[in-house]
Parts: sequence; C-alpha cells; structure tokens
Amino acid sequence: MEQVKLTVALIIAVLLQWTLRNIAEPLMYVDFVLIVVVYAALQRNSLRAILFGTFSGLAVDALSGGLLGANGFTKTLIAYIVSEIARRVYMDNLLLRIPVIAGACFLDNALFYGLHRLLGQEMSGDFWINISYALIGTTVAGTVIYIFFDSFLTEKASNRKREIFPARRSSRRRNPIRLGK
Amino acid sequence: MVERSQKEVWKLTPWLVLVLLLGNFILMAFSAKDITSGQRLIRVWGLTVADFVQSPVATVSSGMTNYFRSIANLRTAQDENTQLKQQVEELQLELKAKEGLTAENERLKNLLDLKDQSKYKVLTARIIGRDPSIWFDSAVINQGSLNGVKLNMPVVANGGLVGRVTAVSPLTAQIDLLTRDKSGLGAVIGQVGVSNALGVVMGTSKSGLLEMKYVPGTTDVQVGQAVFTTGQDGIYPSGLKVGDIFDAKSYGSSQPYQILIKPAASLDSIQEVGVLLYEPPPTVPFDQKVSTPTKEKKK
Repeated sequence: MEQVKLTVALIIAVLLQWTLRNIAEPLMYVDFVLIVVVYAALQRNSLRAILFGTFSGLAVDALSGGLLGANGFTKTLIAYIVSEIARRVYMDNLLLRIPVIAGACFLDNALFYGLHRLLGQEMSGDFWINISYALIGTTVAGTVIYIFFDSFLTEKASNRKREIFPARRSSRRRNPIRLGK
Repeated sequence: MVERSQKEVWKLTPWLVLVLLLGNFILMAFSAKDITSGQRLIRVWGLTVADFVQSPVATVSSGMTNYFRSIANLRTAQDENTQLKQQVEELQLELKAKEGLTAENERLKNLLDLKDQSKYKVLTARIIGRDPSIWFDSAVINQGSLNGVKLNMPVVANGGLVGRVTAVSPLTAQIDLLTRDKSGLGAVIGQVGVSNALGVVMGTSKSGLLEMKYVPGTTDVQVGQAVFTTGQDGIYPSGLKVGDIFDAKSYGSSQPYQILIKPAASLDSIQEVGVLLYEPPPTVPFDQKVSTPTKEKKK
C-alpha cells in the first residue's frame, strides 16, 4: 500500500513540476520530483528509489529544453546515494532529513549543470543564483512535504495511530434465550 | 558471494527486465528521429501527453486569476467610472474630428492605389507550460503541427520577438525564448537597410536581458535605440523588433560595443503569443552555389 501511495505522490510531483511554473514563476525553484525521490530513498528500498529517480527524471526531461536523460541520470544517482546512506545511518528524524534534502538538491543541480557543460550545452541563468534559490525553495518545501508524508503516507504512522486508538475487541453476543439453559 | 534464494531472484527478475527495457528504450529514443521534422520522437510524445495535463491546468488557473482580479478591480471601478465618463465625452469630440481625417485618408489611399498588406500569417497560441527545469527558458504552446506550426517558426508577442519553435507535436509546440543562450539571431540597430550597426543578439545570465555582440565600435550607438532582426540568420524574417538598447559600453573604435537589450516582449509574463507562419527561403549549399575549378576539371 505504501508503494502505491508513493507512486501516486511521484506522479503528482511530476505533474506539478510540469505545470506550476506556468502559474507562478518562483515555484520553478521547488523540485517536487527530487523531494519525492529522496523520500522514497529514505525508506531504505534502493531498488524502488532508483526506478523512481529514472522514470521521474525522464518525465521531466521530456518537457525540458535540456538534454534528454540528464535529470534521469542525476536523480537515479541521488536516489542510490541517499538510499545507501539511509541503510547505514538512522534517518527517521525530520531534523536529519533537512540537510539530506538540501545536499541532494545541491548535488542534483550541480550535476545537471556539469553534465550540460560537459556536453557543450549553453544554459540560461547564473549558476550560484539559480542553485541558491533552488536550495532554499526545495529545502523549505521538502521539509513541509515530509511532515505531511510522515503523517499520512507511511505504514509506521498508521501503526502509531492503531496503538493510540486501538480497535475495540468485538465479542460474539450470546443468545439470551439459551443463557437460562 | 551472496547467494540469493530462488524467490528473491524471481522477485528481482521483472525489475531487471524493466530496467533493461528502459535502457533499450532510451537508446532507441536517442537514435530515432522523425523523418519529416528531424526531431526526437520521445520529445514529440512527451509534448503530446503533457498537453492533456497542461491545457486544463492553464485554463483553470487563468480563470481563477481572472476571477480574483475582477473582484479586486470592483473596488476601483466607481472612481474609474466617473473618470471614464469624462473621457468618453472628450473622445467623442476627438472622434468627430478624426472621422473627417479617416475619410480623407481613404480618399488618398484610393488615389495612390495602396492596399493593406500583412507580411506573414499569424497563428495565435496560448502558453500552457513553462520549462520544468530552472536552467532553461522554454515554453509550451497549445498549437501544433495540425495547426500548421513547423520547426524554427518565429514567435512574437506585444509587437516584439519572443523566440522560435524548437519542437512540434500534433497538438502542442515547444518554443525557446530569446533569453536562452543558445538562440543567437542576426540583428541591426535602427532601420534595416539604413543602419550598418549589425551584430548578433544572444541571451545572458542576467535575467530578462539580451546581449548584442560584434557591433563595430566605429558606429554610433545610443541607449533607447530600437533593435530589429536582419533576416540574415536564415530563421527570423527581417524587420521584427527585438527590443530597445538598455545599456551600451564603448571600448574605443577598434573594439566592438558591449550592448544590453531589453526585449520588446515581456518574456516573464507572456500568456498569449503569435506564431508567424513564416518559412525562410531555402538556402542553396555553398558547393552548389560556387562551382569549384577542381570539380569542373573532373567533369
């Protein structure tokens, strides 16, 4: 069930990435796809995270003016790195996730820029300005989204709910007519 | 070596197949190109699929924006109403005066046998999406090859050049804005055919500004002058307004100017654009134009 929820979240993230810049220009600095990919990687399922990274990256690339596969490459690599870190270090604390999403955002943009420069592609905008805005936007949005995900998406949250509000034990009512016998 | 159980291998195999298929698909997409347009098929498919999402979102968002804007406008409507009534009276007087001038103009036109000529057909399009990446300036419009849009067609808005079409799907098309570094175009400061201040206009890292290169230092360049296309780049027709000179630095007559241009169209907030259904005249390859002596000898 968690996998289905995360997949739906990823599809919504791709759709938001496609459309939100048209509604408000500053929203382009929030990388919704990266936020979901990093979240998937933090769940310690590297195979799922890598596939999420590849597919969502390619979906973004298909509509971007950049090289096809560049986002796929960076997001796959980041998903792998984050999942490997999450496998070794306990990262269920939200405070620990903030530097992870910030680092992932920086690495994603730096790699994306580097790949394009390596292949002789010209890009618009200043590197440091773009990366700074992206870092702020993605980290802030990522923190809020992770709080939302933690309360609604994961199995752990529903388990916790079950512990707090346990279901009443239902016992079969005995037939009052037979009670006298 | 870690030994995997048969169950684990069974679980992993479909994923492995999927990854391999994906790898193959990417390779195919890279090599596959549309025969007629020479575009990558994956981009055409992507644009077509995205249209089903972007078009409704753009419609809903613009509808909501207009709704809230209209509520905000109601507040100032009363003051505006009285001002407008006054203006209407003034304009009615002006109109009467101009009616006479129009009649005179018509008469003179007939006399000179002039006809209204529009140079290019314009296809109106709405911007339904912007580049999802922060590193590129492109946009998606809701007109595609079914409406007659072709690769490299110029796009204009508010009387100024916006960019050109770089990818076309049946329902949508992608345009690269002028501010993108890649798009360089031949331009001239002042009127085409009159001025000799020729140069190349390119995007800059400064948002919203363009740079004009290679303008000789011997020419006279002033801030505020208009810049037009020359048509020599083989993409844009001549005479389209690119923008006005924002800043010009001179380094002596031996070195070219460093010129910054403010685009005529407000590229950050464009909602509707016009695609000029213009195709540049076919260029003859250089070796066909000039027959080299060696080739003639061989014949």
